[in-house]
Amino acid sequence: MSPAMRIGLPFAVVAIVLVAWEIAVRASHTQGLVPLPSGVVHSALALTEDGTLFSALGSSLERVVIGFAIAAAIGIPIGLAIGTVPVLDRTLRPVLDGLRGVAPIAWIPMAILWLGVRGDAALFVVAYAAVFPFILNTSEAARRIPRSLFHAAESLGAGRLLLIRSVVLPGALPFVFTGARIAMAFAWGSIIAAELAIGIKVQTARRAVAGIGQLMVDTLYVRRDVDALVLYMIVIGIVSFLIDSGLRRAQARLMPWTQR
Amino acid sequence: MDAAMSKPIIRLDAVSKTFQAPRGGGMVEALREISLDVRPGEFLSIIGPSGCGKSTLLSLVAGFLSPSAGEILFEGKPITGPAPERGVMFQDYALFPWRTVIGNIEFGPFARGVGRRARRDKAGELAELVGLKGFEDRYPHELSGGMRQRCALARLLANEPKVWLMDEPLAAVDLQTRIILQDELLRLWGDGVESADRPTVVFVTHGIDEAVLLADRVVVLARRPGRIKAVIDIDLPRPRAPLRSVPEVARIVDQLWSVIRDEAAMAIAEEGN
Ligand SMILES: Nc1ncnc2c1ncn2[C@@H]1O[C@H](COP(=O)(O)OP(=O)(O)OP(=O)(O)O)[C@@H](O)[C@H]1O
Ligand SMILES: [Mg+2]
Repeated sequence: MSPAMRIGLPFAVVAIVLVAWEIAVRASHTQGLVPLPSGVVHSALALTEDGTLFSALGSSLERVVIGFAIAAAIGIPIGLAIGTVPVLDRTLRPVLDGLRGVAPIAWIPMAILWLGVRGDAALFVVAYAAVFPFILNTSEAARRIPRSLFHAAESLGAGRLLLIRSVVLPGALPFVFTGARIAMAFAWGSIIAAELAIGIKVQTARRAVAGIGQLMVDTLYVRRDVDALVLYMIVIGIVSFLIDSGLRRAQARLMPWTQR
Repeated sequence: MDAAMSKPIIRLDAVSKTFQAPRGGGMVEALREISLDVRPGEFLSIIGPSGCGKSTLLSLVAGFLSPSAGEILFEGKPITGPAPERGVMFQDYALFPWRTVIGNIEFGPFARGVGRRARRDKAGELAELVGLKGFEDRYPHELSGGMRQRCALARLLANEPKVWLMDEPLAAVDLQTRIILQDELLRLWGDGVESADRPTVVFVTHGIDEAVLLADRVVVLARRPGRIKAVIDIDLPRPRAPLRSVPEVARIVDQLWSVIRDEAAMAIAEEGN
């Protein structure tokens, strides 16, 4: 197969499916319930032009990034601590497992009660969702570092601090990064859920903090625009793909020794 | 001989080590009342059946473990923990996967606070000395087994330790590589050079011929609980590398084998049931 064919063929297949879809929807008069490919493109252009899409995306991403950072700042030290100190592991693990069993979404009413609907509630849910992958992966990572590496470092003259800096941290890093990727996926997933849940209230209060989830609620109940809904779903998929490949690339850059 | 007269650099005095087996499995007596003087500058080999406590003995001297009973002295003072004066080479290499060859070699000087330039220069020289020139920027996973072993050796040398504690360092490489590394090890240690400040080597091995070829004395441990079964002087001239094919070596290997054969057979029989 020639390179042109290899790239061209999938595109052609997708194009044919979309055209067929468009024709089927128009013929069956299901517009308004089933999205039209042309409508999605149209929505994309309109919502990009008036800035709605990017401002919503921006405020969602902002919460994801802040929530993710908070989760990392809390989760990595806790993970390192329980991964290296068995007593802490035994005492904290049941508590953590219990907390982990409560789905992040279940916290939304509480979060709204405590933090209001300005977006802080969503931030709380995001941080909560992302903290567990950090804790679990970091503790597992710290536990998995071979004893002989600690022994080697000690017999070469490393003290406690250097052991942490030069053995525990780099030894745990690849796993922590895996945790970060999971945490990011959780964070991005739960921001949408949280915003969906909080959405209506924000709209009635006319807050200017709407994220992409709020926008979806608005689109569903107020504008009733199925094409825009699908556009948002596509955007959510693209963004999470971009974030994950960014993290993977960062891993390759930061940890050349993990490349096989 | 004055080496025998001088004070021991390491003294084990009735050292025992008992482990609490994991998951409540009772006690494992790994070593029982080991008494041994290691002379400064000597090459001491330790052999014995699998599980007889060779690694445990080395870990005790390294300071990774402390004895359940008895005392271990280094230059007259009790060992309280690991220290750079007692360098260790591990059977599984224990190279830092996230450090390059140079980064691994310079770790000791780095940990002891040697400046960047000085430790880099030194690491470069050592890489060349052990035959890793051109591989300085490789990561351990990009090296062959023999090269990793050289890297581990260079890392140990970088600290200029008085004692080299080596746990089956050549067990995981192929025969040709092993022969080459044995010769290089002897050369780096100072085989055939009478020198007062030559490092002291405690070398655990499975290979009787390896022990005979390298060592001044061979300590034979009995199977669990590990006790000293025999200490045998190897009165072969140095340098040793050229002696590889001399009949005398084979004769001593035979003699040593007869000492440990029963132990080995019984250890195997015990493993079977
Ligand atoms: N941390 C530990 N906890 C419990 N038991 C241990 C521990 N370390 C060693 N042992 C036990 O002590 C005994 C001696 O172990 P050691 O590793 O010193 O033997 P070895 O002579 O080095 O064996 P090999 O030749 O297979 O390397 C073994 O029975 C082992 O199971
Ligand atoms: Mg061993």
